[in-house]
Amino acid sequence: MLFGRKDRKAITIADKQVVEWKYTTCGYCSTGCSIDVGLDAEGKAVATRGTADADVNRGKLCIKGVFEHHLFDSAGRGLAPLMREKTFDPYQKTDWDSALDKTASEIKRIQKTYGRDSFAVVSTGQILTEEFYTLGKLVRGCIGTNNYDGNTTLCMASAVSGYKRSFGSDGPPGCYDDFEHTDCLIAFGSNLPEQHPIIYWRLKEALEKRKFPLIVVDPRVTMLAQFADIHLPITPGTDVVLINSLMYVILDEGLEDRDYINAHTDGIEAVEAAVKGYDPVSAAKVCGIDEDTIRTVARIYAKAGAAMSIWTMGINQSTHGSDGVVNINNLNLITGNIGKPGSTSLSITGQCNAMGTREWSSCSGLPGYRYLENQADRDKIADYWGIDESFFPEKRGLQQTDIFSAIETGEIKGLWLVATNPMTSMPNTSRIRKILEKLEFLVVQDTYGDVETNQYSHVYLPGAVWAEKEGCFTNTERRVNLVRAVVKPKGDSKTDFWIFNQMAKRFSNGEKIHFPETSSEAFQEMAELSKGEGRTLDISGMTHDKIEEARGIQWPFSEDDEGLKGNPRLYTDGHFQTKSGKANLIPVIFKDNNECPDEQYPFWMNSGRVVEHFHSRTKTGKIGNLNKFSPTPYMEMNPDAARDLGVDHQSYVRITSRRGDAVVMVQLTQRVPRNMVFIPFHFHDCVNRVSLGLLDEHSRQPAFKQCAIRIEPIDQALAGQLNAERRTF
Amino acid sequence: MIDLLVKARDRLDQIGADTKPKNTEARPHFEVRDSEQGYAKLYDPTAEKENRYGVKIDLLDLTKETLPEALPKDRSMHINENPEVGSNPNRNKQHGFHFTADNCIGCHACEAACSEKNDNPAHIAFRSVGYVEGGSYPDYKRLNISMACNHCDDPVCLKGCPTRAYTKHAEYGAVLQDSDTCFGCGYCTWVCPYNAPQLDPIKGEVSKCNMCVDRLEEGLKPACVSACLGNALDFGVIENTPESREQTKTSIPGFPDPSITQPNIRFQQTRSMPDEMSRTDSMPLKYHKEEDGTFRSVVDEKAGKDKSWNLARLSSRENPLVMFTMCTQAVIGAFLMTFLGPLLGIDAFTAVKESAVYFPMLISLIVIQAGVLVLSTLHLGKPLRFYRGFNNLRYSPLSREALGIAMFFTGLAGYTFFEILNVWLDHWFLDAVVIVLGAFATLSALIGLYFMHCIYRIEARPFWNHWQVLTSFFGTMFSVGGILLGLFVITSMAIQGEDYSVLLSILGGLVAIGLVAESIGLVSHARYLNTESGEGAAAHYIQSTTFGKTYLLRNSLIGLGVITSIAVAVIAPSGWMAMTLVVLLSLTVVAALFAGRALFYILVIPTTMPGAFFWKNKGFEQHARDIGLADMPQVGVVPDLH
Repeated sequence: MLFGRKDRKAITIADKQVVEWKYTTCGYCSTGCSIDVGLDAEGKAVATRGTADADVNRGKLCIKGVFEHHLFDSAGRGLAPLMREKTFDPYQKTDWDSALDKTASEIKRIQKTYGRDSFAVVSTGQILTEEFYTLGKLVRGCIGTNNYDGNTTLCMASAVSGYKRSFGSDGPPGCYDDFEHTDCLIAFGSNLPEQHPIIYWRLKEALEKRKFPLIVVDPRVTMLAQFADIHLPITPGTDVVLINSLMYVILDEGLEDRDYINAHTDGIEAVEAAVKGYDPVSAAKVCGIDEDTIRTVARIYAKAGAAMSIWTMGINQSTHGSDGVVNINNLNLITGNIGKPGSTSLSITGQCNAMGTREWSSCSGLPGYRYLENQADRDKIADYWGIDESFFPEKRGLQQTDIFSAIETGEIKGLWLVATNPMTSMPNTSRIRKILEKLEFLVVQDTYGDVETNQYSHVYLPGAVWAEKEGCFTNTERRVNLVRAVVKPKGDSKTDFWIFNQMAKRFSNGEKIHFPETSSEAFQEMAELSKGEGRTLDISGMTHDKIEEARGIQWPFSEDDEGLKGNPRLYTDGHFQTKSGKANLIPVIFKDNNECPDEQYPFWMNSGRVVEHFHSRTKTGKIGNLNKFSPTPYMEMNPDAARDLGVDHQSYVRITSRRGDAVVMVQLTQRVPRNMVFIPFHFHDCVNRVSLGLLDEHSRQPAFKQCAIRIEPIDQALAGQLNAERRTF
Repeated sequence: MIDLLVKARDRLDQIGADTKPKNTEARPHFEVRDSEQGYAKLYDPTAEKENRYGVKIDLLDLTKETLPEALPKDRSMHINENPEVGSNPNRNKQHGFHFTADNCIGCHACEAACSEKNDNPAHIAFRSVGYVEGGSYPDYKRLNISMACNHCDDPVCLKGCPTRAYTKHAEYGAVLQDSDTCFGCGYCTWVCPYNAPQLDPIKGEVSKCNMCVDRLEEGLKPACVSACLGNALDFGVIENTPESREQTKTSIPGFPDPSITQPNIRFQQTRSMPDEMSRTDSMPLKYHKEEDGTFRSVVDEKAGKDKSWNLARLSSRENPLVMFTMCTQAVIGAFLMTFLGPLLGIDAFTAVKESAVYFPMLISLIVIQAGVLVLSTLHLGKPLRFYRGFNNLRYSPLSREALGIAMFFTGLAGYTFFEILNVWLDHWFLDAVVIVLGAFATLSALIGLYFMHCIYRIEARPFWNHWQVLTSFFGTMFSVGGILLGLFVITSMAIQGEDYSVLLSILGGLVAIGLVAESIGLVSHARYLNTESGEGAAAHYIQSTTFGKTYLLRNSLIGLGVITSIAVAVIAPSGWMAMTLVVLLSLTVVAALFAGRALFYILVIPTTMPGAFFWKNKGFEQHARDIGLADMPQVGVVPDLH
């Protein structure tokens, strides 16, 4: 009882009987945390813990990582390949050979009938780098379609495009350690506590050691916005106006780093001319941030010894995504904030291996940041793979969003989806449904048999998940980290690596090109291909074992580098990957092409992520200890606006747009302005039934975050029923 | 005698117990890695002597004063039967959490780490994060609150638990609970102001935060603290201010009054907050800033002011308790009148004893009492472990009530048995035995009823914490007891054509006493609720809106009952008029009091922590059950089990 009791009560604390911890890297976001998975005596994964000596997460994990071992046994996993003739037929179980033969013959039939590019492949940011490299070999080298892209077009394409335009090459130049050195940080449309909790923790640790100004640009009062020293509640879609105005003040007041501009950039005159029209008085009217605040922020940023910018989907997922990135780069270039500790333009990436696909999948070109448009690159890869150079197209084909349009117009007849779920993730679901219905052949390769896109597939290939496989992920700060195979693939599911290798055998070039049996051999091929004078993407010093020992190595890390520490920053010497070796300053002019609220559709619809879910919820919707924090779709709405419409807290409404409708539960909160709602994007049959997704002209990324909706009443009983019916997981 | 009972109990405990051999080898309690980071390690180079409430922090010192024998310093906690004694030099000091509310980002990492370590299913959480929010866009503030068990100086859970499943340890001051001992009555979940004990309706037992004493023994902070990503949660010897923190406050907006239990948690909260902070969950509560900067809970009229019936919602999972308390009180009332009436020389009651219905009535009382005892036992998570309910007579009103009612039942049964025997044998000795048993039953009943009332006098449940419970329970004894007796006796006398008018008049008077007591209590209760801020007033708000019409009807019926019963007492009617009044009175009183008792259970709003929009939101939980969403286990809401 109170201290002294005679009959001792047992103290029982759960003991998972872990006998071995195996090293892996988290398979959710791109923070790149190292995770130990605990196995019991029977080899079952029963626990996870953050690897204590890993530099990225230093023993910490976010909520998703904590329960990641539940993925192996989660509901909805595909356990055998499935096939059917028509999408209205029920699926029949089949064996791998039949499924692969069928797929290969359909690809060949469609290519023969309609042309090589009439079959498209859309992959992901989820699988391992070695798998991406292998898929690239298969698609570029064997299948030979030019309509091949990754779903990174939905999240990081604008960052890639912006980096390429400014610096001549993709690759985030900074790292998390920059938080320890910076004197000012601006976060544009990035909500670290919700989206990248571990990166937030690294930032918080730095702030607790040494306080520096934190400025957050976000139309919603996120936790990060609330904790910021200055929060700029910007009008959606006007970031480039704000940045132009910041540059106006900096240039006007002579706060720029003229030496850096002269030494390392081209194009300052054009930028100077462009920002002339964005004085704070005019800009304030467009972006909704008052002129004094614009001046204050510009001065703090320019006067800081070292300043850095981070951004996520608030920039990327808008009609000016690529321009926004370019403009952030402009801001950092004119203040000399690139390539120094605490000075950087750091895009905070989304998927665990969005970087891996950008680097090695050949989606946007050829492996290792090589371009199809470049004869030398085509020669190099054709030679290395042992095929004819003419097999490669001379120009990159369509991106994911344009591939779907090409299906709509009938140019593309067959599609292979690898670990991506456009039925939930792409804007305008009703259009996507129509598009998928048009396909003569759809093969879905995914860990989950219940992935919604499977409704329209003819063949389903069950892929292994995360640490059922072995290979690498590259994180936001260019750190290549290792996933060890911890358990065997569930049921008859197979690693994506194996699936690609088997598929290659079914194409004639598959016999010419060497497809290694193990992922570490594939890694060695990549390491070999990464060698070369002046290349930033150099991983030639790495092997799987070295990566594990170092708990991840940041590229560039060449075979000549000593020790196990890679290079934390790019462009430290002020030399860029452009022809001139200088960074491009590119003028950005604001064009207001968003679907803004009007009388008919009076609310901005903003979307984003919540910490407990990942993407289209196929993983997290089945893990109770994650899903319970938001098991159904909901919408943040301002109480003042709700009062006008008679909408109650925790009641349902129907939201409508020019595309369609969705049913959501209302959460009233002053976190959002009167003319805006916020809806998490994870739920099937929800936000993307109404979203527009205008495409960025450079990156072809959809502007998920800006469209206009109206709010209609709905019968509460019917809405409850619909809500329950629409949640199959 | 006691020893024998304890032995019998221990024997019963063996039935169905886990007989797997336990690993009793000494071994490390938790693996500490060479590379363990600093944030995960306990660091308390110094400690205060006493906490702010004047309680000694060194628990060996503290127990020296209270225990006959000093506790040894190096006593093993036998975590999972491991005899190893931890290396932590501060293991005999009271520890507690420190929460920097300024920093919490609501990322759920603490909850996740806790549930992962303790292998908890989705519907159980030892730690939960909720929030309060206020202000106007963009000047909006959300304050997240992560809360688990506070391992209080005065653990009300421990005192309330009838099975003695709880122990406050001299190691770390941890308040630990043994789920094996627990029989799932859920009383600890009623008394705790912080919602720390978690009743699992599926397993039928409670479990709770164990302070990660296994980690503490190895010098590591609890899993939740080590997992924190906002640098908000910390842990150490109580009253110590963690590194780079400057406050050790005892309260933040949304946190219940710390004076109830003296919780071992301290806060830092320096950022200014809006004057009003509201809750996103369905509780009609918000928090208002006082002059001294602290926040006080006040009613938030979320559901408007419309008055409704919501009669269907009167039926809840507490139905067995409605039946148990009402029927027990009625049976006690009917028995007391029958037993004490003749002793007090009231002729009308002597006539009852001599009537043909006397024995059938006594047997009926036994059957009713047995029935509701079974019902209340089935209400337990583990009904077969009911005998553990008497384990904590020292502290728990529940144990005492259970014993009182059990003794009453024994007395009633014995009294009836010997009364019947006496008809046959007719011996003076049996007369005496009957008197003794009757007196025993009477005394037990009164003690039982008193402690039954004590059960509800919970500081964390202001709606209940009023003497109205006493007038209600004893009032019901008179009112429904009188009606129950009347139903047997008056009916029988009427059939046999006997004169019942005197008895009817007396019973009418007794019913009137009960109803007047109930009314006085209710009037005072309503006044108390209206002046009481916070949870009590919120309960009253629900009472007068969601159940507004039901509440008014109930009050009117009681008023009608008072008038009718006084009329019966004064007029002493007979014939059709008597029958009409009896039927009217019975229906009115029974309907009013049962509805009132149902409201008593449904309306109570505990001083819980604020929830989130889905998680720990009673409104959403109910909705998820209603639409069938709760049938998916990953929703984290247990579906209706009946």
